[in-house]
Amino acid sequence: MKNSSKVFIGIAALIIGLQFIQPSRNDQGDPLHGDFQREFNVPQQTGQILSRSCFDCHSNRTSYPWYTMLQPIGWWMGSHVNKGKVELNFDEFSTYSLRRKQSKLKSIANRIGDQSMPLPSYTLVHRSAKLSDREQKILTDWVDGTLDSLNQNKR
Amino acid sequence: MAMASLLFAACNTTTKTTDKKVSDTTKSTLASSPAKKDATANLISDYLKLKNALVQDNDGQAALAGRSLVVSIGKIDTLSLAAAQAKVFADISADAREHAEHIGANAGNISHQREHFETLSGEIYDLLKTGNSTGKKLYYANCPMYNKGKGGNWISETKEIHNPYYGKAMQDCGSLKEELN
Repeated sequence: MKNSSKVFIGIAALIIGLQFIQPSRNDQGDPLHGDFQREFNVPQQTGQILSRSCFDCHSNRTSYPWYTMLQPIGWWMGSHVNKGKVELNFDEFSTYSLRRKQSKLKSIANRIGDQSMPLPSYTLVHRSAKLSDREQKILTDWVDGTLDSLNQNKR
Repeated sequence: MAMASLLFAACNTTTKTTDKKVSDTTKSTLASSPAKKDATANLISDYLKLKNALVQDNDGQAALAGRSLVVSIGKIDTLSLAAAQAKVFADISADAREHAEHIGANAGNISHQREHFETLSGEIYDLLKTGNSTGKKLYYANCPMYNKGKGGNWISETKEIHNPYYGKAMQDCGSLKEELN
């Protein structure tokens, strides 16, 4: 009895201790991601879906849900953001070469199409990032259209 | 003292042999083709290894080839390329490298490897259009079914079709589009 309460206090102290180690925050970018929205003339509805499901991990500005203040959830979120930004960063999209833009758009449509993005392990916790079938189609249609117009302007 | 001179002598002999080897290779490169033309040969050969691994449905080998492709892209000295080739290389290198990295990191997910291979193939094709450095004839082939009917292309060292997009399931499906000399 005595031992188990010691263990309990130990775990509680550990969890409280963890709260003092806050990860660095991804909050330097433009909250409206204007560069990207302007370059591709993103329709409002598409932009809203991107904001809700994509920008948090794939841009220079994450809007953090309240529970990411709790550790280790915040660290876990931080690692998603770091990995996500390396693969694709909408705030740096305008600086990509034409080829890179095309590659990335293609991958965006494919990942949404095969439902590997948004990551199922991520949407399990961040329920609001989950895409409905209709939203998937809005995004992939928009990406396909954008790709077509990029291809036409190529030469 | 005797020991030192012995060592010295040993060093000398090795230097001599390496020198000889170097001059031999220089000679043979000069004989077969100008030095400039060999600049992209390793890159193409790694690409073809990757292609052949995908034909065999071998994701592990494809990943290995992807990783060596990352290295061979990194080793290319743009100064050694002809001007037109250097321009295309500058245009594709960052993207091609990223595709190769993804292929290297995705053993176990061959469909993802093939997706990157498809874009990569278009980039290698653009590079080859500015000059084929391998000294061998290469072919550009097309699989009309891939990518939901949008099609996918690849470069091959054989005239016969060996489809890298569907592997053994549809090995000889596809057609030649172009010969690259």
